[in-house]
Amino acid sequence: MKYEYTILPFRFDHFSNEEYLLTNDVGEYIFLKNADFEKFVTHELDSKSDLFYDLASKQIATTDKVEDVVKMLATKFRTKKSILRDFTSLHMVVPTLRCNSSCIYCQVKRHEKSDHSADMTKKTAKNIVKCIFDGPSPYIKIEFQGGDPSIDFEMVKYIIEEAEWVNLFKKRDLSFVICTNLTLLTPDMVKYLKKHKCDISTSLDGPKDLHDTNRPLQDKKLDHHEIFEKNVKMVRDIWGDADCVSALMTTSKYSLGRYKEIIDEYIRLGFNNIFLRSLNPYGFASEYKEKVAYPIEEFIENFKEGLDYIIEINKKGTFFVEGFAALLLKRILTPFATGFVDLQSPAGVGIAGAIYDYDGSVYVADEGRMLARFKNYYFKLGNVNENTFQEMFNGKLLHEIIENSCTECLPGCADCVFQPYCGADPVRNYSVQGDVVGHRPTNEMCIKTKAIIHYLMEKLHEGDPETIKIFWSWIK
Amino acid sequence: MKQIHANILNIEDTILGKITLTGKNIFGRKDYILVQGEQELCPSGYAATITNMVYIKGNRPIAGGVDLKEFHEGDVVTINKEGEITFLYEIESTSNAIFATGRCNHRCIMCPQPPVVHEEDMTPFNMKLISLFDKKTKEVGITGGEPTLIGDKLFDLIKQIKKYTPKAAISILSNGVKFADRDYAMKLALCNCYDLQIDIPIFSDVAELHNEIVGANTFYKTVQGLYNLALFGTKIGIRVVIHKKTYKRLPQLADYIYHNFPFVCNVAFMQMETIGMAEENIHDLWIDPYDYNKQLVEAIEILRSRGMQAAIYNAQLCVLPEQIRDTAVQSISEWKDIYLDTCEGCKLKEQCGGFFASNKKYHSSHIKKI
Repeated sequence: MKYEYTILPFRFDHFSNEEYLLTNDVGEYIFLKNADFEKFVTHELDSKSDLFYDLASKQIATTDKVEDVVKMLATKFRTKKSILRDFTSLHMVVPTLRCNSSCIYCQVKRHEKSDHSADMTKKTAKNIVKCIFDGPSPYIKIEFQGGDPSIDFEMVKYIIEEAEWVNLFKKRDLSFVICTNLTLLTPDMVKYLKKHKCDISTSLDGPKDLHDTNRPLQDKKLDHHEIFEKNVKMVRDIWGDADCVSALMTTSKYSLGRYKEIIDEYIRLGFNNIFLRSLNPYGFASEYKEKVAYPIEEFIENFKEGLDYIIEINKKGTFFVEGFAALLLKRILTPFATGFVDLQSPAGVGIAGAIYDYDGSVYVADEGRMLARFKNYYFKLGNVNENTFQEMFNGKLLHEIIENSCTECLPGCADCVFQPYCGADPVRNYSVQGDVVGHRPTNEMCIKTKAIIHYLMEKLHEGDPETIKIFWSWIK
Repeated sequence: MKQIHANILNIEDTILGKITLTGKNIFGRKDYILVQGEQELCPSGYAATITNMVYIKGNRPIAGGVDLKEFHEGDVVTINKEGEITFLYEIESTSNAIFATGRCNHRCIMCPQPPVVHEEDMTPFNMKLISLFDKKTKEVGITGGEPTLIGDKLFDLIKQIKKYTPKAAISILSNGVKFADRDYAMKLALCNCYDLQIDIPIFSDVAELHNEIVGANTFYKTVQGLYNLALFGTKIGIRVVIHKKTYKRLPQLADYIYHNFPFVCNVAFMQMETIGMAEENIHDLWIDPYDYNKQLVEAIEILRSRGMQAAIYNAQLCVLPEQIRDTAVQSISEWKDIYLDTCEGCKLKEQCGGFFASNKKYHSSHIKKI
């Protein structure tokens, strides 16, 4: 018997041998047994059955007027994409390329501590701030990168104060964050950062031997991990709040197989979240590939183990979040928008984040700046000393990049069941695969992200109530 | 509403007035009804006099033979020619409401108050009624029927409430259909009430099932209404009455609300009041509240984990599983709230919502003393 109903747009794929996974544009999902799926798509599913009601509830099919349902889908879609409304809010600024570290996977052409050739001038800094505030976003976050920006702290202070001054008139929701290895921070600097509400973002790769292997200081006599631990404590004491400093980890070849120790180290040092991050294949990383890189499959296995371990820790009563899982879960489980510059559609390059180099050059993403080191200026929007905000952020180049970075229409993404949860990274596609569109079947980021979403979906489908509760606690 | 019966004299048209026990200055008496004990004389100038004396006489409007303890300074009552004294406003109640109209564009199968088809405009009376409310009133409801059927006069009522009871939170019960008209939603927002909430029922995550319950094809209008109200930042609550036709999909409904209306400030699950249409359709509707606990717990947990506020109205604590007892609200108006004999000596009686007087006949078979 045939039943009357309208099937609305959805994506699907085999999830296991027995089941299909269906998702729609707004991120609603449902698992269907193979036989039910067949029935559903051939109009043989009883439109008064509970299963059909579940599909209707998620707006994958309907017996109502299609226009009515599409109106609701449109509202939900607008909500999911609402971050686009604000335009660029993350502005990364590089006050200097000087650094006192020599991390094995560094992507930046770092300069010695005494080499001032890559320091920002006040004129450039002023123009950067002007350019940032020429943008329309009601939220502005200025993130100091480097080098290690704490080496040229005077320039950091200059930019903070210039931005605060301009903001007296522009009245945006302004915030700052500084990315530093912490080793050069003094109590006075921390007090200044606290006063100006500049959060601190740092790097921690794991226990002492691993951290020091991945992130040695240039001065070999100094003990990086020890100074790090001491300074984390100093920062928190001054701030009076453990959340003022957050840490990022990068996985090198030496980190594989050691996720439990890394996670334990994060907990020991008082952090309540970690972002298990794979290596970027740019810059030095590809030059020294055999030294630090690894097949993406190994990362995926490590990630799964790490995630399981973190879930166990939560079950034992310690609140601890894995950031990448939390981001994806928010996309899978909630109706809300999630900005994440490296994984959104359209891509976040230029329209969610942009980076301003020491010389005033503006790139759509940090990796665009890395490419420029190899004399490839494809992702350079212009220079604040020569170009206006309009020329750079509403120019032909950015339009072209964005048009080619919507997963809704990219080959291999458009029909992927995980499309609503994923995003495009045109810069990585370009640098690894030669063009902004990229080639999904051989794309490591695609392989990684799909594997991780699949793993999370398995957990959601298993439905262990304790795990689900933990997931929701991460999202809030 | 509380009603008591009195012997009356000289009352032809219904009299509306505010109760005073202490008396008022002779120039300010016309809106007042004087309540007095054993006195032969009725002072002049009052809209009426109420007394406990059974034998009443004289040529002024008077109602007698009532228990004076029922009256409090500031209550507002009507007295009609049948001798019914109706309390339209009770100073000690927190659930005073304006009955905007008896008409409705829905025909809900469990409606406790079946709508009327024709009626005269109640707004002038309501405007007068509101003007008699105590200035310190903390909460005023607007209910019906479907209050939006009086059109823009609804906003007159709201403005009147704001004028005479500036501190009152206003709560409107509506099916939301009218707000599918964006201008109408905007007009509500333009009333500029800081503390106004509109509560709207959604009975199912499936349009067809919702429409079957409300007896009209309006699901998507209500949805559009919710969107329009949210667009103008109006506070919205969602109400779900639980019965045989709604209980099965409560968890799916909770998830649906989160995914489609995450902007609502609370979701209330309500035990059914078994009066009116509900009583007539009782065989299609009745399910022992104990038997839907599984779905109710799941729905509440879904909302709670997603950071949404959930509440259970009209439920008895002994029937609810312990894990969701804290979401139960004492929601039944004082005048129709009762307890059973079984409830005597129950430890939770103080916190418990009790029963609708009408539920004496239909209630869970799992009521027990705790």
